[in-house]
Amino acid sequence: MNREKHLPLTETTFYILLALIQPSHGYAVMQKIEEMSEGQVRIAAGTLYGALENLVRQKQITPVRSDDPRRKSYAITDLGRKILKADCQRMEHMVMLTKTAIGEGRL
Amino acid sequence: MAQRNGGAGTRIYGQEHVQRLLFPQIRASGEEIRIDYRTFTKSEDFQDYRQLFEDSGWRHISGTKNSGVQYFVRTGDSADDEIFSDRASKAGRYKRLSNMWLTFAASYLPIMVAILSSGSIDGKAMLNPKLLYYTPGLWEKTSLDFWRSFLFETPFALMRVFSWLVFPFLVSLYFYFAARAYFKYRSSTQSKA
Repeated sequence: MNREKHLPLTETTFYILLALIQPSHGYAVMQKIEEMSEGQVRIAAGTLYGALENLVRQKQITPVRSDDPRRKSYAITDLGRKILKADCQRMEHMVMLTKTAIGEGRL
Repeated sequence: MAQRNGGAGTRIYGQEHVQRLLFPQIRASGEEIRIDYRTFTKSEDFQDYRQLFEDSGWRHISGTKNSGVQYFVRTGDSADDEIFSDRASKAGRYKRLSNMWLTFAASYLPIMVAILSSGSIDGKAMLNPKLLYYTPGLWEKTSLDFWRSFLFETPFALMRVFSWLVFPFLVSLYFYFAARAYFKYRSSTQSKA
């Protein structure tokens, strides 16, 4: 299997990419992730800023025009979408294996 | 990912003293100060950075676009008690700090090499300190007159012979700081959270 070099994504990165399917600024990303993860994942400001910076550098997300001059907005790129899907498939496979094990009463 | 990090490891050696001097009223009120290291090329980026912290309940109390050190205090409505929520990003701060010191060291290194290799250090003067005194007829003067002129010029003479030492000193100091931050980075990526 020819794996993307960015895989597996960290939980933080995965959620950021997922949140940025809809272009948003940093704090909106933070809130969206908390909501999506039902409060399980809270990303602190310093961590989020660094993660966004890294993702921009890796071209998985890109800054987009923002209506708010004080806050920069970002959106996922085609590369980001590809990586997100690939990681989803990777996890699906693991989930499938685990579910089979549970179904057969092996777990 | 939602783990909370205790205060341990979030402070930087010597920062306690710096904070007491810089922010006496904040220290007194018992608010905890959090530190990040970042420089910015564009002022929009710096604005966006501060806004993100502000939005998530951290007031930026000190630091400029190029200062590197950024200080934050928690405002009342914040739910987080740390500005980093995972170990990698917390350690990343030390990496940036280390790089900052390395940049400083690297910018002084050429000056140091130029001074050391251009022969502008006068070896003869070090062996014969009399050459460092430029006052005409100094060594022919006597008693009080001599001592007054001699002591007056001594600081200048010392500067003439030792001023070049500033560069090796700064360069080694910067390398030392860079190494210290780097080891801090290494130990915080490896230690168990």
